[in-house]
Amino acid sequence: MAEAEESPGDPGTASPRPLMRDLKAVGKKFMHVLYPRKSNTLLRDWDLWGPLILCVTLALMLQRDSVDSEKDGGPQFAEVFVIVWFGAVTITLNSKLLGGNISFFQSLCVLGYCILPLTVAMLICRLVLLADPGPVNFMVRLFVVIVMFAWSIVASTAFLADSQPPNRRALAVYPVFLFYFVISWMILTFTPQ
Amino acid sequence: MLLMILSCVLLNCSAHVGNRRLDSNDDTEDVSLFDAEEETTNRPRKSKIRHPVASFFHLFFRVSAIVVYLLCELLSSSFITCMVTIILLLSCDFWAVKNVTGRLMVGLRWWNHIDEDGKSHWVFESRKESSQENKTVSEAESRIFWLGLIACPVLWVIFAFSALFSFRVKWLAVVIMGVVLQGANLYGYIRCKVGSRKNLTSMATSYFGKQFLRQNTGDDQTS
Repeated sequence: MAEAEESPGDPGTASPRPLMRDLKAVGKKFMHVLYPRKSNTLLRDWDLWGPLILCVTLALMLQRDSVDSEKDGGPQFAEVFVIVWFGAVTITLNSKLLGGNISFFQSLCVLGYCILPLTVAMLICRLVLLADPGPVNFMVRLFVVIVMFAWSIVASTAFLADSQPPNRRALAVYPVFLFYFVISWMILTFTPQ
Repeated sequence: MLLMILSCVLLNCSAHVGNRRLDSNDDTEDVSLFDAEEETTNRPRKSKIRHPVASFFHLFFRVSAIVVYLLCELLSSSFITCMVTIILLLSCDFWAVKNVTGRLMVGLRWWNHIDEDGKSHWVFESRKESSQENKTVSEAESRIFWLGLIACPVLWVIFAFSALFSFRVKWLAVVIMGVVLQGANLYGYIRCKVGSRKNLTSMATSYFGKQFLRQNTGDDQTS
């Protein structure tokens, strides 16, 4: 997870990079995802810390609380990780092959950060599941997941669509749609046993 | 998690303080109790560790990630805890080595720069040897740095093969992450060291060429 650095500066100094600056950059990108606007922040100063945090949080929340220690939730944790990262890499390769002018890590950065709404949806779903199960419960969760899914799609296409030639835009956006659909499906069908 | 952030902040603070403390260290080294012998006019300055906190953290995160991986069954029955701990340690290690310890201990840095056209460049820089004494690289730190940098990715690659062949596939995600993160740092710093003008193949060719020549001229002299 390399980050883009703002100023090369004098190589003679080579002072250590401040932690606060990186943390603020991650926070700023989260804000940009929540209020998607045409801006270059996610693209120019990319970093992969946000996607890592979101992926770990999502994987932890998608654990079933099983008492049985051998089915320890391990495979599901690794499964979420693999789906998210492998999916993001595949979409990036797809958009590069379609002739997009976005770099590999920038695309990973955008896709990863735009998982934020779905992570919020997962949090809400877990809280809703504390109440009694039933059709109302399910409808609430369905509504929340659909809204957050739409938010993710809007946020990521706001950043990614510009990098594609106009006649290929639908082809580039469709895998993104599928990717977030799979994650939303995992969130919606989650039941703690 | 809080512990990790605290240790990163500590590392940062000590990095800034360490640069200022350097001058006072240099003053005390000038005093010698006995008459200096002729051979030792070259003071053993270079073998002193200037950034002990940075050196400690450089090795701490890497080694503890490996230790947690090896002892996971003994430490905790929960696979998830171990996995999350290893992931956190690997991330902290990546950030610390890339942004702090490389710059302090060996004066190298590398990053990605995206220019106005949206093109991305990878920049590798090494600190020029300045005339100031306190900016030279110390031998001990350099050895610690390169030892930690090279040994750990090799270990993770070995773990990857062992996980693959013993079918402990659930660990494969973590091990691959270890290989990728630590391998990235290794590659970045090697490129910084080698420099942007030469590439690795031409360095290797010139090195082997010199060895070959030395061997041949050596043979000529003995025969």
